[in-house]
Amino acid sequence: MKIVVTVKLVPDTNADKRIDPGTKRLVRTGVENVLNPFDEYAIEAALQLREKRNDGSTVTIFTMAPESGKEIVRKALAMGADDAVMLSDAKLEGSDVAGTAHAMAAALGKTGFDLILCGTQSTDAITGELPGFLSELLGVPGLTYVRKIDSDGTTINAQRETDLGYVDVSVSTPALVSVTKAINEPRYPSLKGIMGAKKKEISVLSLADVGFTRATGNDGAKTELLELATPPVREKGRVVTASEATEGARAIFDFLKERKLL
Amino acid sequence: MRDVIVFIEQRAGAPRRVSYELATKAQELANALGGKTHGVTAGAGASQAAEATKAYGLGTLHVADGGATAEYLIDPLVDALEAVAKTAGPALILVPNTMIGRDVGSRIAARLDAGITSDATDVIVADGRVKTVSPKLGGLTITTCAFKNAEYGVVSVRPNVFAAKPAANATASLENLALPSKTYAMKLGAEVEEAAPELGVEEASIVVSGGRGLGGPEPFTTVIKPLAEALGGAVGASRAAVDAGWIPHAHQVGQTGKTISPSLYIAVGISGAIQHKVGMRTAGTIVAINKDANVPIADFADLLVVGDLFQIIPELTKRVEAEKVH
Repeated sequence: MKIVVTVKLVPDTNADKRIDPGTKRLVRTGVENVLNPFDEYAIEAALQLREKRNDGSTVTIFTMAPESGKEIVRKALAMGADDAVMLSDAKLEGSDVAGTAHAMAAALGKTGFDLILCGTQSTDAITGELPGFLSELLGVPGLTYVRKIDSDGTTINAQRETDLGYVDVSVSTPALVSVTKAINEPRYPSLKGIMGAKKKEISVLSLADVGFTRATGNDGAKTELLELATPPVREKGRVVTASEATEGARAIFDFLKERKLL
Repeated sequence: MRDVIVFIEQRAGAPRRVSYELATKAQELANALGGKTHGVTAGAGASQAAEATKAYGLGTLHVADGGATAEYLIDPLVDALEAVAKTAGPALILVPNTMIGRDVGSRIAARLDAGITSDATDVIVADGRVKTVSPKLGGLTITTCAFKNAEYGVVSVRPNVFAAKPAANATASLENLALPSKTYAMKLGAEVEEAAPELGVEEASIVVSGGRGLGGPEPFTTVIKPLAEALGGAVGASRAAVDAGWIPHAHQVGQTGKTISPSLYIAVGISGAIQHKVGMRTAGTIVAINKDANVPIADFADLLVVGDLFQIIPELTKRVEAEKVH
């Protein structure tokens, strides 16, 4: 099977980020880009499928990002993926989720796939809408929130999370599957993997390469950002040190009463 | 955009509470846009769900019950919504920001070439234009967006931000939505329930969460859950507790879990590192209990009680229960 894993580069999730009140943009000083943590589960799921199948199946990393993101893509390759494709085009800047999905669908259609694996969401935009969008545009089943996956090469058997547990769902390839963090424990790249990744191919495609003709960026967007506001900062509140149970419980109880929460 | 269409998420005839919240909000938005309101309910039990939703004041409830809608995942729901959207013409479509809602919303947006905004905490009509407000980057910034170059606009709305109020003069008419009989790709198999039906953290207005300080899985049952139940709330958890396998991922609040806005959030034995903070910092009131006064949550909790959670929480639970009796 040809497995393609879509990944996104996001600002470091552990950094305490802030918005510059003047420019209303994210202050990027000291905030590096990293692989979207949710995507690591998709990469791991792809690698495990390839290992289990052991039939010459391949894992390709796909991302839409500026070429400067190459080094982060290499980290995904270091985990064990075979190669990578980047859709990089200055015209894509300012794309909304619809624009992003259209461009990605065009490129993925060109690359070809049996199975696309995605993370459930990105840690910056957190829309969780790209998997659904992509599957609709590609005209393939979009099986989302999967916590267990297996495949015989033509059928995907999966457990999809529900609010109370899971439901079994089977689909035929080609298909798109998004996975949750319950699916596995992503591996760390080995030293050998890191060295090997340097030699792996990262091909870079432009919009012209994939024959994309729709309006892009701001012109192609169906939404526009009118305003960015900084939410009020939460102030440090009251601190009560309770040496015994009654004292601590009363402090909370009275506070909840005071706020009319009880 | 004139009409407002609400996707009524339901399970076996029971609508999710967020469906009522969206139905209530839809009326106000449609009045401002000068259009009508529609509800779309599909899947097994859709008729029953429509009956239950009637009280919340939608104009027409379109029902697709049984058949393919009960046997396949997502696709028939999108077909039902598409049929209503095509008949209604340019419209605003509201879906809940839930697993099902996000899928239905993104798929219908792709199909209708619509704009989509996500995780809205407010939807406003100003000068005939729909504007949606969403926190982004984990609540670091609040964006206001509008639709452009699109006949349809889809908004996924965060549960628990709008009130669900039965309408004074609800006159919803139920209409059967005949969908072409068809087989789809994603056939639903056996459904396995691993937890007792309970209010999820996304929808609860009170959430009591446990973290590393619990030291193991048992206190979730013996300490956290009793307080959550006494308060009529849901049980949440930090990443540390989920990663340790003490509680399923569905309960996780934070960057790699759920982002929630309850009116009260009680963090028990949770330090409040940035990845947790982004999931709950928009809560109305935050109360923390920790044995350490020098934890990150001390900087943004409205009340921090420094003490032994194993003693304080059960005592608090007793007081809350006693209060309910009076």
